[in-house]
Amino acid sequence: MKRKNRIGSRLFIGLTFLFLYLPIFLLIIFSFNAGESSAVWQGFSLDWYVSLFQNRLIMESLYTTLLVSLLATAISTVAGTFAAIGLYSLGKRKRDALLVVNDIPMMNADIVTGVSLCLFFVAFFQGWGSFARWFNGVQSAIELPERLVLGFGTMLLAHIAFNIPYVILNVAPKLRQMDKNLVDAAQDLGCTWMQAFWKVILPEIKPGIVSGALIAFTMSIDDFVISYFTAGSSTSTLAMRIYSMTKKRITPEVNAVSTLLFLSVLVLLVANNVREVRQERRAASQEIREPSFFEKLSMRFSQPSFNWVRRGLTGAMACAFIVVVVLLTGATASQPVVNVCSWGEYIDESLITQFEDMTGIRVNYQTAESNEALYSLLKSGGADYDVIVPSDYMISQLIEEGMLEELDYSQIPNFELIDQRFRNLPYDQSNKYTVPYAWGTLGLIYNAAMVDGELDSWGALYDEEYAGQVLLINNSRDALGAALIHLGYSVNTTDEAEIRAAFDLIADASRRGVFQGKVMDQVFQKMEGGNAAVASYYAGDYLSMLENQADGVDLRYVIPKEGANWFVDAMCVLKDAPHYDDAMKWINFMASTDANLANMDYIGYASPNTQALEAYPAYYEELYGEELDPELYEIMAAPSHVLERCEMYTVLPAATRKLYNDLWIELGA
Amino acid sequence: MRTKRAWFAFPYVVWMALFVVIPIVIMAVYAFTVTDPITNAAYATVENFTGMGVYLSVFLRSFWLALLATLVCLLIGYPVSYWMAKEGPRFQRVAMALIMLPMWMNFLLRTYSWMSILENNGLLNQLFQNIGVIDLHNSIGAWFTDLCNSIAIRFAEDPEKFIPTVYHPIRYFQLIGTPGAVVLGMVYNYLPFMILPIYSVIVKLDGSLVEAARDLGADGARVFSKVIFPLSLPGILSGVTMVFVPAVSTFAISQLLGGGTQMMLGDLIEAQFLGGAYDPHLGAAISMVMMVIVVVCMVVMNHFGEGEEQAVML
Repeated sequence: MKRKNRIGSRLFIGLTFLFLYLPIFLLIIFSFNAGESSAVWQGFSLDWYVSLFQNRLIMESLYTTLLVSLLATAISTVAGTFAAIGLYSLGKRKRDALLVVNDIPMMNADIVTGVSLCLFFVAFFQGWGSFARWFNGVQSAIELPERLVLGFGTMLLAHIAFNIPYVILNVAPKLRQMDKNLVDAAQDLGCTWMQAFWKVILPEIKPGIVSGALIAFTMSIDDFVISYFTAGSSTSTLAMRIYSMTKKRITPEVNAVSTLLFLSVLVLLVANNVREVRQERRAASQEIREPSFFEKLSMRFSQPSFNWVRRGLTGAMACAFIVVVVLLTGATASQPVVNVCSWGEYIDESLITQFEDMTGIRVNYQTAESNEALYSLLKSGGADYDVIVPSDYMISQLIEEGMLEELDYSQIPNFELIDQRFRNLPYDQSNKYTVPYAWGTLGLIYNAAMVDGELDSWGALYDEEYAGQVLLINNSRDALGAALIHLGYSVNTTDEAEIRAAFDLIADASRRGVFQGKVMDQVFQKMEGGNAAVASYYAGDYLSMLENQADGVDLRYVIPKEGANWFVDAMCVLKDAPHYDDAMKWINFMASTDANLANMDYIGYASPNTQALEAYPAYYEELYGEELDPELYEIMAAPSHVLERCEMYTVLPAATRKLYNDLWIELGA
Repeated sequence: MRTKRAWFAFPYVVWMALFVVIPIVIMAVYAFTVTDPITNAAYATVENFTGMGVYLSVFLRSFWLALLATLVCLLIGYPVSYWMAKEGPRFQRVAMALIMLPMWMNFLLRTYSWMSILENNGLLNQLFQNIGVIDLHNSIGAWFTDLCNSIAIRFAEDPEKFIPTVYHPIRYFQLIGTPGAVVLGMVYNYLPFMILPIYSVIVKLDGSLVEAARDLGADGARVFSKVIFPLSLPGILSGVTMVFVPAVSTFAISQLLGGGTQMMLGDLIEAQFLGGAYDPHLGAAISMVMMVIVVVCMVVMNHFGEGEEQAVML
């Protein structure tokens, strides 16, 4: 009977491990996939590893992750150790009160810690800004920076803040166990306090310090939420990079980086395990079994006083440190930078390199998910952008709120190339703030293989026939806009009843399970792979999807009979942009005909540059050796009779915007 | 030493005040104020809290899914820890290594790995397709619809006008974007947080207590229910909190596996700060509520756990 039990229990444990590891193994297998799919095997290749090392964004974020973890670990270990010694020199009552405060960051949900720190930093920056302006006004000897933003520094502070409590938690029990008289004895024998610290205290509490440092490191390297809220826009850890990638196209480079991470941890653990087994054999003769690394690590979860095996992990730390140093030397020295924020999949990345080679200015290219998300980023003080590329209605709102800087058109000669149709548009009537970047329509995309007949109405988005196969666009303006058009209202209506009617249409469809999800750039992979049948998205992105569609998928784009929205995205510069002149250079470069041609070809959105618009069919033919399908070109650059059926968004009054926001949240709830 | 080195604590006190206490105070200030959208002036109010009723379903969903995930973690985690503790030391060491290992991979990577499995055209649905589960489902569905139709047509008043129900065959099972996918993601990510504390308590249990119980005539089930289980309660309690707190506040898992349709508290907070609906006051208010809930949970847990913890110490 006993034996039978054991088989059952082992089977259960085995199944649990299968559950834990099967997804990881699949992840690893598909890192060697020749194709881009993470579900269809297309042959073995190492291409994704090669492109991983060429992917600057991922490599930089890996470097940031290691650097912040190591720095935060080092600083919080030293600070935490001294704090613990200080705490144990206090009276019990004070100490207990402080330990309660010490528990707060460990107890709180990560998101609460992240949010509170984010608000704290932003409030501090505002205070600092006023102080610096006053200070710079009254004297001229020292110039203080007036504008601080979230970045690596704030993220590091946040990491230290949540690491110190763990260090204290680990060091404190060792201090409690230590014989208090030892230090007095040492000092009586003529030691200074410092000598006593090195010779007596440190050796006693060393296991606690080591375990504290290791926990701190683990916490730091695994953290996502707190970094996400405190790192701002220009700094990304690996986790943040992956998160933003899941919002658009995930390439198997992510699988490759996970495989490498997994293998390096695995090697460290196996090495450590082998060493432990050896130690154990040695110790067996003395009948003392040191608890293994994992037993010790596991104890942390029930009892604060646990030990860690030091050596294996000291080795790991040393290795990681060497990696960081190597990466550090490889990192670029201080050079001019321009921070750009745009949409995902919205630039031919070779243009960035081209611009960098040409001017020596480094481009820090970030993406935002939607106009609303960009606005949140700007408002929450997390953004450090020079150039942003918002859409028409958002530009008006930003101008209205005084957040944009006027452009110096004398530095942007290429503005002359912008077609008259795209100048002095309602969002920027006298054209002082913007240079158009791209334009297009927002229409209906469907997979003809999954629907019967041709679709020509927005109604398909709310049709129960496609339950579970419709993707709702994940921003309030576009989602409600389509519903408004379907109901025959203006996309710019401020009539609450009309907006509510449009919302009810969506909410009702949502209740009936029509929507598979709310997506922005995830739409690419969903539609290309045939994972969804109907979506509303931008014309340019439809063309990219068309190129990547899987076998058996037949994507179509249509401007529904009710009409649609057309938009212009334009480059603007934020007020107090730290790199104004470099930003002008970037804008001028992106407005050039060559850049517009390359970009048009890559992103599939129409350019506002007259020459580029005319030259594109020839450019396409030269590049691909075949004629550009005129129908596709019409989808890309909608002719005027189509544009006449489309309406551009204008900025909505604050009360309507609030209504949009509330309704949008209500939809999720 | 006692008095001389007390100043070491001073920078720490300042630090804690700056980076722990003041941020929470600022968050509270945000939570109890509102910025007027037109004049941009802030005024004190409790409307952030009173208006939260709209999000009741988000609160309920968060709690429901997190509770479910915690329960599943417990149901898997307890037997695993219990049986693991009975194995030999080498088995235990390897098993512990295997449980800890995924924790060093970023949890976003682990969640992402499930995305490609659960997609409509993902690995699981392909598997179902290949072994014929989907065809089976479709033929049963079609057969059942026909059956219903043939019964209904007999009772129809006018068989000529009877419109039979049409069965729409499915191409895949909807897995991603469901509450189940979110719970799965939580269980997958937080299971080690349940196993580790329970295991470390059970493995330290004094074997003589079990022996004593047996000597006094208790059978296996009785030993478990009267001795082992009560003694492992502290581990269970700490496991439950360690799973529940991150689960109830997650936003990445619900976004990746819930497809944006399973909004949770974390999503709600994130949307107010970095997402599509900028309102830091509301975000701060929800964070405050969450903090209070977590503190209440902790206090309740500690209250329950106190007696047993001392038993383990012995």
